Amino acid sequence: MADAAIHGHEHEDTRGFFTRWFMSTNHKDIGILYLITSAIVGFIAVAFTVYMRLELMEPGVQYMCLEGARMFADASAECTPNGHLWNVLITAHGILMMFFVVIPALFGGFGNYFMPLQIGAPDMAFPRMNNLSYWLYVAGTALAVASVLAPGGNDQMGSGVGWVLYPPLSTNEGGMSMDLAIFAVHVSGASSILGAINMITTFLNMRAPGMTLFKVPLFAWSIFVTSWLILLALPVLAGAITMLLMDRNFGFTFFDPAGGGDPVLYQHILWFFGHPEVYIIILPGFGIISHVIATFSRKPVFGYLPMVWAIIAIGALGFVVWAHHMYTVGMSVNQQAYFMLATMVIAVPTGVKVFSWIATMWGGSIEFKTPMLWAFGFLFLFTVGGVTGIVLSQAAVDRYYHDTYYVVAHFHYVMSLGAVFAIFAGIYFYLPKMSGRMYPEWAGKLHFWAMFIGSNLTFFPQHFLGRQGMPRRYIDYPEAFAYWNWWSSIGAFIAFASFLFFFVVMFYTLTRGARVTENNPWNEYADTLEWTLPSPPPEHTFEQLPKREDWDKQHAH
Amino acid sequence: MVMPYDWTKSPAAPDVIELHLWPHQSLPPKGFVLFIGVTCVMLTFPLVPLLGSVVLWGILPFMLAAVAGIWAALTRSRRDAQILEVLTLSGDRAHLLRRNPRGDVQEWDCNRYWVRPELHETNGPVPKYVTLSGNGRRVEIGAFLSEDERVSLYDDLVRRLKG
Repeated sequence: MADAAIHGHEHEDTRGFFTRWFMSTNHKDIGILYLITSAIVGFIAVAFTVYMRLELMEPGVQYMCLEGARMFADASAECTPNGHLWNVLITAHGILMMFFVVIPALFGGFGNYFMPLQIGAPDMAFPRMNNLSYWLYVAGTALAVASVLAPGGNDQMGSGVGWVLYPPLSTNEGGMSMDLAIFAVHVSGASSILGAINMITTFLNMRAPGMTLFKVPLFAWSIFVTSWLILLALPVLAGAITMLLMDRNFGFTFFDPAGGGDPVLYQHILWFFGHPEVYIIILPGFGIISHVIATFSRKPVFGYLPMVWAIIAIGALGFVVWAHHMYTVGMSVNQQAYFMLATMVIAVPTGVKVFSWIATMWGGSIEFKTPMLWAFGFLFLFTVGGVTGIVLSQAAVDRYYHDTYYVVAHFHYVMSLGAVFAIFAGIYFYLPKMSGRMYPEWAGKLHFWAMFIGSNLTFFPQHFLGRQGMPRRYIDYPEAFAYWNWWSSIGAFIAFASFLFFFVVMFYTLTRGARVTENNPWNEYADTLEWTLPSPPPEHTFEQLPKREDWDKQHAH
Repeated sequence: MVMPYDWTKSPAAPDVIELHLWPHQSLPPKGFVLFIGVTCVMLTFPLVPLLGSVVLWGILPFMLAAVAGIWAALTRSRRDAQILEVLTLSGDRAHLLRRNPRGDVQEWDCNRYWVRPELHETNGPVPKYVTLSGNGRRVEIGAFLSEDERVSLYDDLVRRLKG
């Protein structure tokens, strides 16, 4: 090969449709595949919630009847409440959203597409393993959906044990649905770990010359820390659910007190995975938001170095606070005091990030383009969710709020309104780069306002419901909770309508949106390497190392 | 910044000059040790509540597999970029040796005074592609360097090959 290759530039894309999208080893194509797949799965998971909010709109059970699930309430027909269907829906919503929507969109989608570009790498370190990660994710999704339709507990379809799969519920649930769900989580875990290994190797060993760790753009940093969290947390989950599988099928008693096992131990290891999991979900969002806010404030991001350390600190602290999810299982007071204080410490790095974003905007010339609106929404809503998190972190207060709608409101504010707003910010921010077409500004704004109003109307009243003592995970509730449940359902319908509108906007943009001809449709503060490439980028990028002046913007640090 | 290539002269043979070139890798061996070390320390946290429980043995294999996986991946990535090109100029002889990641070696020999270094602005696989011609062959050198480095490499080659 040392023989010279002198010829014309012939980097023509000769791949056919099947080769390009089904056998892809190109990080940009795989990123797009992740985004599309997670949008489809997201639609399924959201559709489940709309059905659940429909049921919760009025007290009593009108839709989920044992006589058959209905789309329209029918007061004349008899309706016996079908609690199993309800349980299956909350379980499927949780599993799909946690494992198959948010992580694949932020980490698999944006991470694959933009992390290698931002560090000037030609592709991921192991392109074929990247393809394997994606298809394992698809296989896992198929298993998860199959689990909803397979014979399960109570002689019905699906398993209704909650996404945390606590034993003994999960070990006693009948049918093969539960096993399929466990396999789904296994396969998606394998996909995430392979993806994380790939990302870590790419980030560590393929940065452009001169790009030392503390010159790497914030999004790439957030992807690296996320990958590291996946590498540390997912094996724990894999071990836990493997043992569940053995308890279920092979007569082991890891978590069965009758055989000397301990079901609380399962909760410990599940949450040892589960708490880092929520940071795995939100950290890439932090990265995207930093770039969006800097771009549309026309200022470099404030406090780059503290921002990086805050990401690292949040990741590290995420590993030592797991038991705040289970204050009520009978831990000693000292243990609870420790987990409470450790949890509160996380407010410090999170505060560093929130204040740095505000300081970035301070004195900037802010432009309210659609991505910036989403970033604003993120900032406000994530902070609300963070503040209720501080409330819940107190072991004593948690006695009251545990398993109420206050908790539901809290984690939807950080995840549904935090992570999802970050995903939409990223989609509108990067859509012109990925597709070469610009979305209609009015449509993006309409989507934002409908979603902002709808999701707030959905989740804010749930704080009230929680404070009134309404427990989560029930198909029905007493009359007293009716008022805010009605409003919450109205909010969910508005948010769902905005989600449908989003698909229309995407379809319109991709088929007839205005062409983007420049490399950087925003401004010079979108200064990472992906903005030096054409829109959409060619098949091969950074096969030669990028020039230092393209990425090293002194004013940014 | 240190260029990832390097001219060396050994005191034993003062008229022999060697040029070593290698691709940039951003992870130094120390970084590898630090990363694996921190990973292992972090992995011990969930094991603490499991000490003395049989559940430990259900978790441990998966953790070890994860460490083995990232270890193998980082090592493989390092190996894949272990290319070394050595250009030796001695007396009237120019010798280029390229050691590929899999350990196989490619060589090229030429009379030093007939070697023609060339800089191809556009026609190569990368812009500013540097080649050496002579002895009936044209071979590439330093294709993995960055653009600025290739330009200065070309200047260096022109100067050294003259003298």
